[in-house]
Amino acid sequence: MSIYKSAIQKPVTTALIFVAVIVIGIYSFLKLPIDQFPEMDLPYITVMTTYPGASASEMETNVTKIMENALTSVDHLKHITSQSKDNISVVELELEWGSNMDEAVNDVRSFVDMAANNLPDNCAKPVIFKFSTSSMPICQYSITADETYAGLDKILNDEVVPQLNHIDGIGNISLSGAPDRYVYVNIDQQKLDAYGITLEQVGQVVSANNLNLSSGTIKMPQEQYQMQVRSEYIESSEIENLMVAMTPQGQQVFIRDIATVKDTIKDLSLDEKTNGREAVRLIISKQTGANTVQVCRDVRAELAKIQKQLPTDVKIEKIYDSSENIQNSINSLEESVLYALLFVVLVVLFFLGKWRATIIIGITIPIALIVAFIYLGLADSSLNIISLCSLTIAIGMVVDDAIVVLENITRHVERGEDPHEASIYATNEVWVSVIATTLVLVVVFVPLTMLNGMAGIMFHELGWIVTVVCCTSTLVAISLTPMLCSKLLKAKKVHVDENGNLVDDEAGKKGWYDRTVVHMLDVIDEYYAKSLGWCLRHKALTFLILIAFFAASLIPVFAGKIGTDFMQEQDNGRLTVTVKLQRGTRIEETLKTARKLEARFVELVPEIQLINTSAGSNDDASIASLFSSTMNNKIQMTIRLPKKWERDRDIWTLAEILRQEMASYPEINEYQCAVSSGGPGGDITVDLEIYGYDFDKTSQMAEQCRQLISQLPGARDVNISREDDRPDIKITVDKEKASRLGLSSATISTYLRNRVAGMACGYLKDDGSEYDIVVRLMEEDRNSISDILNLSIPTATGKTVKLSEVAAVGEYWAPPTIERKARQRIVTVKATPYNTTLGELAKAIETEVIPQLDIPVGYSTHIGGDVETQQDTFSDMILLGLMIIMLVYIVMASQFESLRMPGIIMFTIPFALSGVIIALWLTGRSLDMIGALGLVLLVGIVVKNGIVLVDYINLMRERGYELNQAIQMSGRSRIRPVLMTAFTTILGMIPMAVSSGEGAEMWQPLGIVVIGGLTVSTFLTLYVVPVLYGVMSRHGDRDKQEALRKKFIFMNLKVKKGDEK
Amino acid sequence: MKNEVNRAQGAKKSVMIVFNQANTGRVEYMLDVLGIHGFTFFEQVQGRGTNGGEPRRGTHAWPEMNSCVITVVEDEQVPALLESVKKLDLRNEEVGVRAFVWNIEATV
Repeated sequence: MSIYKSAIQKPVTTALIFVAVIVIGIYSFLKLPIDQFPEMDLPYITVMTTYPGASASEMETNVTKIMENALTSVDHLKHITSQSKDNISVVELELEWGSNMDEAVNDVRSFVDMAANNLPDNCAKPVIFKFSTSSMPICQYSITADETYAGLDKILNDEVVPQLNHIDGIGNISLSGAPDRYVYVNIDQQKLDAYGITLEQVGQVVSANNLNLSSGTIKMPQEQYQMQVRSEYIESSEIENLMVAMTPQGQQVFIRDIATVKDTIKDLSLDEKTNGREAVRLIISKQTGANTVQVCRDVRAELAKIQKQLPTDVKIEKIYDSSENIQNSINSLEESVLYALLFVVLVVLFFLGKWRATIIIGITIPIALIVAFIYLGLADSSLNIISLCSLTIAIGMVVDDAIVVLENITRHVERGEDPHEASIYATNEVWVSVIATTLVLVVVFVPLTMLNGMAGIMFHELGWIVTVVCCTSTLVAISLTPMLCSKLLKAKKVHVDENGNLVDDEAGKKGWYDRTVVHMLDVIDEYYAKSLGWCLRHKALTFLILIAFFAASLIPVFAGKIGTDFMQEQDNGRLTVTVKLQRGTRIEETLKTARKLEARFVELVPEIQLINTSAGSNDDASIASLFSSTMNNKIQMTIRLPKKWERDRDIWTLAEILRQEMASYPEINEYQCAVSSGGPGGDITVDLEIYGYDFDKTSQMAEQCRQLISQLPGARDVNISREDDRPDIKITVDKEKASRLGLSSATISTYLRNRVAGMACGYLKDDGSEYDIVVRLMEEDRNSISDILNLSIPTATGKTVKLSEVAAVGEYWAPPTIERKARQRIVTVKATPYNTTLGELAKAIETEVIPQLDIPVGYSTHIGGDVETQQDTFSDMILLGLMIIMLVYIVMASQFESLRMPGIIMFTIPFALSGVIIALWLTGRSLDMIGALGLVLLVGIVVKNGIVLVDYINLMRERGYELNQAIQMSGRSRIRPVLMTAFTTILGMIPMAVSSGEGAEMWQPLGIVVIGGLTVSTFLTLYVVPVLYGVMSRHGDRDKQEALRKKFIFMNLKVKKGDEK
Repeated sequence: MKNEVNRAQGAKKSVMIVFNQANTGRVEYMLDVLGIHGFTFFEQVQGRGTNGGEPRRGTHAWPEMNSCVITVVEDEQVPALLESVKKLDLRNEEVGVRAFVWNIEATV
């Protein structure tokens, strides 16, 4: 028994099966996490190798090169880049998106193990580090305090962090700029020398008096006790009163005599300020697979609770919360989905004019959507931008199948059949063709799931969702829809009058719907049939007009009006400003500039809600410091602005204002003002890569490029990736002198470290926390080169010598970090497009900058970055588009069993392109990855209209109508369904195209592309397809009759007498 | 609505054409050429002939099947139709086609 027959005969079962589906769907929906993008493994693997004592260039030759050579054979490798710094080499592998990362890490590990034998002896074992989205911070808070600032570290570590750690799914919590408590013993060099004491002696005294030691057990007659020496410091002031040495004169030297003990917060090296107040930044990341929105919400709630327990001057403020952006995007998309649903239902109501029919159609939408949630639940995915966009796309399409079935059933019912029987037989007539049209959509969307690269990860989900939704809608159309029709549709009201004649109760009755809408549609039908007749009579002229239109629509492309982008930048209300001052600038000087900038920024952009500034560097590197590289001469600011609908100026204008301000400071060397994009690509830039071995030459070329690119009107934030040479103080040990004194370079370096950086001498324990005790020289004795030369170094004989006696001190420029890509040294000049598109900026750089460069032999340039990804994606898309066209052709050819008919239908695709170009040109948008996706989708949506039309013309031809008459009749009869399906899709996309919510920049192009393409192609399909059909089939059909006559020759036989029966 | 019964006085004849499925196209073409519009078509009918007709049973032994067309035509059309059927039979005797004629008693 067929599915529709069972469904109609078992209405209860059918209805309840769908109720069950809805229940499971709602359950999955409630369980679905909310995220920005589908889960993706970032295909980056980092191999970090340390080799203590090696300089950057030594690192490059001895470690990085070896690692790179070994790692180039890793499967699916896309790019290999490396950084060689003093002591450390970092090789980063970028694999193809979508590679299996676990496998890749194993692969990398085996190559690293193989290469490890070739590494220098002192080299540490290379560490393999997989980069994952969960290690990126999901929210940051700033905690400011006035009086309690000094104790903030303890408050945070004892109260805030432990409470936050209870939250489900929370990952790493790190604090940046927290004031660490330190006990410093600052020694006066001269006094040390005067007493003949070494710094190490002081250190040993400090350590030796800070002990807890077990000293055996004491057995008493009855009991047994553990004996312990407990002499740990309880207060830092105890240190002052320790005796260090005795002078030959018998005088005792206490620490207080030679040094000051300071129980204070750590020396300033990283400065955090929020709106000018001392601040600590709380950086929170989530565990892999945890729900960002949920974790952020819990963090918010928990912080609100904690706030109450904290001292009143401690304030917790949000710097950014990535969940807000996600939540807002999802909300505005959900809104789009609901509006699309409403519009689609209204279109159906408009065309059908019957509320019962509209309900039957409308009910397929939520069911199809809910099945999508079940799919998402089973696939462990989430409610994200991609999945919701897919739903919006699908909404317009899901009703088509149900409409076809319903229309046929209604036709039968209006002829006077019983709705129950009509439902069975009418469905039987159309169910195969309903499945066939769905197949066309499936072949468009399934290939999307095979796309590679980053686009592949994003469109994988889209492909499946639309496929699942369309298949569900087909299933609903041939089961639930006929069932509902059999129950809800009313048979025509008739009765037998007194004369025994049948009277139609509804004949002659005309409601307002029939008078207005039906009348209007009739007029449209009439007009269309007439114009189509004209076109059929003037085929050549029609084609000329159409081709002229197509050619004219291409003008904006050749005129360069349509740019290309990778992905639209989003206005998330967050700016990241990076400022680099003159190299070697002291942190205190950097801070002065930072304060000036903050003040000016607030003046210029009163919209600013919060500025978080960090400057300097934190030496104890945490995971979070991977994401914010600050140095003494670098300032990094995160600026929070109101949501875009709460302010008049858009973020790009504001960024430009800040850039102009920064350009006017002479002390600022480089600046960057990035509009943080939520996308996985981060900031969108064009990278000009310069390859070459010689530092001076490539640096010079980079600088030349920077200047040339800066002159381009569309380029902003032009920066060179190579760090400037760093000024170092280099100490050269005279080995002969040193060894005579019993010293080695190693001991000298230890002594130096103890004196300048400090000697760690145990901990001061207070309330369960441990604070470092550091013994070092006071600052005045170590802040100039002459001070350094004057340092006293203990010799093997117990005497002291000055450093100047065994070593020379000089200033020296340390080589920069050596960056390499594809095993060559590289400098990258990055530029951000402003008021232009990525593609145009890349082209401008290629045509205007590169020719002006004087590139020596052995040096080369290459344009990379997001442009490269964009080009890769577009070429993938083109390939995909061609594949889809092939598959659609195959499906249609098999459906019509003709090689010609699909050709006729496919002729409409170029007109969809015209529509897209016109729409982009009118809205001033550029074609990006999402828009290109829309273009691919159009192929499927557009041909559907053509199929409906050609199918009907074929039918009319088979019924024996003359060609032109058949075409005109079909056109007249099919214009309504064609307009209806087109309108449902177009109106379904409108909320997406006009939405202005957060993140809307990203999916707007999709809406614009589909609406433009579909509008133009639908209109033209109505003329192109019939006319082309007319041109292509007349000849063939005459031949067909001739062939038939030749085939059946038996009619020409003569019957002889006697043969007859 | 009219509901009268025509008492036919030999004005119309019913012709049943039984033929091998493989002849379907030819039979339809024949009817088209003769201008016979109405017919009732039975598919997948079984049977065997009296005079040497090969059985058509759809079994393993006799896998072929017949189709059958019953068409009600005017008296005058019958000879032409039968002649055409004969022609068809001559074209390929092994495939097989037979026609039988009887009177129409009444129609609605």
